[in-house]
Amino acid sequence: MGAYVLRRLWQMIPTLAGVMLLIFVLFNWVGGDPALVLAGKITNKDQIENIRKQLGVDQPAYVQLGYFAFEVATGFTCTWKSYTDKAEPPKLDAKTPGSAADSATKAKANSGCQAVRSWATNEEVPKILTTRITPTLTIMIPVLILETLLGVILAIGVAYARGTLTDRMIMMICTVAMSVSFLVYIIVAQYIFGFQLGWFPVQGWSDSFWKNITYYAPLPIALAVFVGLAPALRLYRSFFLDEINNEYVRTARAKGVPEKTVMMKHVLRNAMIPILTNIGIALPGIFVGSFLLETFFSIPGLGREILVAVNRSDFPVIKAATVYLAMVTMIINLLVDVLYKAVDPRVTFK
Amino acid sequence: MGNMHRMILQKLNIAVMARVAIALFLATVLAQHVAVAAEKKVLKIAFRAAETGFDPQRIEDRYSVGICENFFDSLLTYDWLALPVKLVPQIVDKVPEGEEGGTRFTFHLKPGIFFADDPAFNGKRRELVAKDMEYAIKRFRDPVNRSPYSWLFEDKIVGFDEFVDAAKKNDKYDYDKPIEGIQVLDKYTISFKLRAPDYNFLYFFAMPIVVPVAREVIETYAADTMAHPVGTGPYILKEWVRRSKIVLERNPGYRGHVLNTQYANPDDPWDNDAVKALTGKRLPLIDRIEISPIEEEQPRFLAFMNREHDYIEETPFAFISQLLPLGKLAPAMLKRQVRVQRTEEPEITWDAFNMDDPIVGGYKPENVAFRRALILAHDRSQEVNIIRRGQASATMSPIPPGVVGYDPNFKAEDQEYNLPRAKALLDMFGYVDKDGDGWRDMPDGRPIILQFKYRANEQEGRQIAELWVKCMSAIGIRMTTVAVQFADLLKDRKVGKFQMSNLAWIADYPDGQNFLQLLYGPNTNISNDARFKLPEYDRLYSAALKLPDGPERSKLYREMNRLIVAYAPWRLGVNRTFSQFINPWVLGYKKHPILYTAFKYLDIDVPAQQASLEQ
Repeated sequence: MGAYVLRRLWQMIPTLAGVMLLIFVLFNWVGGDPALVLAGKITNKDQIENIRKQLGVDQPAYVQLGYFAFEVATGFTCTWKSYTDKAEPPKLDAKTPGSAADSATKAKANSGCQAVRSWATNEEVPKILTTRITPTLTIMIPVLILETLLGVILAIGVAYARGTLTDRMIMMICTVAMSVSFLVYIIVAQYIFGFQLGWFPVQGWSDSFWKNITYYAPLPIALAVFVGLAPALRLYRSFFLDEINNEYVRTARAKGVPEKTVMMKHVLRNAMIPILTNIGIALPGIFVGSFLLETFFSIPGLGREILVAVNRSDFPVIKAATVYLAMVTMIINLLVDVLYKAVDPRVTFK
Repeated sequence: MGNMHRMILQKLNIAVMARVAIALFLATVLAQHVAVAAEKKVLKIAFRAAETGFDPQRIEDRYSVGICENFFDSLLTYDWLALPVKLVPQIVDKVPEGEEGGTRFTFHLKPGIFFADDPAFNGKRRELVAKDMEYAIKRFRDPVNRSPYSWLFEDKIVGFDEFVDAAKKNDKYDYDKPIEGIQVLDKYTISFKLRAPDYNFLYFFAMPIVVPVAREVIETYAADTMAHPVGTGPYILKEWVRRSKIVLERNPGYRGHVLNTQYANPDDPWDNDAVKALTGKRLPLIDRIEISPIEEEQPRFLAFMNREHDYIEETPFAFISQLLPLGKLAPAMLKRQVRVQRTEEPEITWDAFNMDDPIVGGYKPENVAFRRALILAHDRSQEVNIIRRGQASATMSPIPPGVVGYDPNFKAEDQEYNLPRAKALLDMFGYVDKDGDGWRDMPDGRPIILQFKYRANEQEGRQIAELWVKCMSAIGIRMTTVAVQFADLLKDRKVGKFQMSNLAWIADYPDGQNFLQLLYGPNTNISNDARFKLPEYDRLYSAALKLPDGPERSKLYREMNRLIVAYAPWRLGVNRTFSQFINPWVLGYKKHPILYTAFKYLDIDVPAQQASLEQ
């Protein structure tokens, strides 16, 4: 297993390189000139050139790609200094007030390097990612847990009752629910439950995890679970039905194994493999969040941050978020593959 | 025994009394704390877009600039109540007169104005001095800052351009090197010498970005100056969760000020309310301001409706019909005693023709006639009533209301919708269907297929483009639309790679020149996206720059307006009308035409606020 994990980790390097190359090509040739966005309302050629120089987008493509690789590897940028930067590096001594992330960059800053920063706001990109992930996970982890638990429980129930009125009704409701856009659910639910009934706040977020999870997060979580449940339920039901129709189930029933044991021990266990695969596919999404939920409910998460960055053509943030998502996806895929073994001992690593 | 008993009783009494005393003391302290907490005036509002940061010389977006109004003091400002807007001193003794033919302006700072306390000052109080203003002005041209407003000081101050050129040459931007046109005469006096007369120069010093900053603060926080605004204004930045929450608290060291009621209009109920609420009080009155940037319209609107926010500005047009049916406050709003203030912003929109384009451009009579015909066929009322939901009015000149130089009597008849006239003009100049395909062609027989570029993912832009297609179809002109990413659209406009596109401009300062420069020939590739180059217009523009506000300059502005209508490089758009809804416990509210925030002129009736929240 150790050799398998090592091999998979090794394989991540060319995959990540491919992702980076794709991002680089997309942003450099398709993304437009960021200097024009940053230059302001009244611009001239000199100013555009100065901004391009500072951002490094005036460099040859291979140089820019090299710097991009360095930034991904270290989180720092050590080039593209304008002529004034050479005059004197920022004086960041121990007395300088600042956050922990600021402190971590002091040594690099004094040596001429600095953390990769947002072009629009000058905020450190690693700091953006680390501070925005907490609100995102506060919403998305409960969503994933609830959606999986409810999906599995309901799916096994409707699969067991296949063909009955209950099964048909639930499937019909799922189909209708899936036909409506998430945006509509958000707008309607925010209006009814937030404003008309006043059960939840319309929007907001606080510094307290407890207040967030009990006061601000319930409505967004409920909405995401409700919307995610319908497709999950249909999918998981099909997994259970595949297993129920297998011969080993018929054999177990013929042998007189109690129905509860058949469903919970044999069917559930075997159906968990595709369910786990499905969760594995969905898992990276929780680390990015839902930009719709975060935007409508004013949650300072990563999804909203990426959306703002896209609107501002803030490429360092967009690039970092994309690379981060690619890495998370690869790591989660590896974890899911390892988990298969725990769920089904027949699985072997090659 | 008796003595011992008495002693024990005494000790017990002392112990009990001490406990009672402590309990009373604690109860009193607690009660005071609760009372103070209850009386704390907290204002909660939303912005409709996220801020970028609070380094005044590095920002451009109006939300960040609006917040900076509260951290920093500009040398001049606008009187809060005067309409039309009036420049008044803020931290200088008076508004300077232009000397040496409008080429020299000298400011005398009031002594005894201090920056908010900050570790960068090493525990000492830091007084504002003239050198802070000099430093701030120099920062605009420092390439490191990439200031979006560096253009304010380009080709403006004597020696500044040479200073920047030398810095480039020497690879060093030396803040200690003097500039001939920026003279610090003494601790509190700074004088600017301009290359040419510019009476609008004074307006720059009322902009919340042209404010003095302390060099030691900027150097201490060089890595992230956006997060460390330290000024002499009424508020300080207490907490900032970027793009999510901005908390301002009263600057404890602020000197305070009082409302000037000299220019209050007794017939204006908003003025009267402000005077009644604020007269005689030491401002600011609000202790804490919490701002949430909310980009989506519904949550911003519902947060106000839910009383989570104290007022809502620039209310989304989609909800106006709910709050203001038929232009009157809805009964539910009346019951809540909500007030509404409707304001026409100092901004314009327009659809530009690329004057270098072989089909829509040109200055020959047939070129002008073609553009005029397109304008006459464009039904602007549909933009006002459908796209803007009635929350706008058709503009008649490039200078919007509320801006110096605006002429309410100027009517641009050639910009009015008139379909028969449009068709007649096209026929007269030979723009007819020559190949029988049902669409008009150029006089030389080339087919006409116009293209309208707009910003991708922007509903308003798409609707405006669709309206153009519909209107052009009515006169037999083919038109296509292209949605382009923002960065690409900016580039296309700058290099003239477009035929038609929609644009907007918000006043940087309230003078018509800020709008008329958008068609000044030498500003092509800078801000003149229509690439309009008319020598007569440029001559009038240059002449107007040298004049102070007055009848002579107004005449030049009017003549420029006339040329714009005559040559038609623009289809004039609309002036948007915004509605502000204010809860009854917010006192003194008034939307200023230029200043973006009103925090230092507001008060809150805390009992009324709490009573409403408890409902």
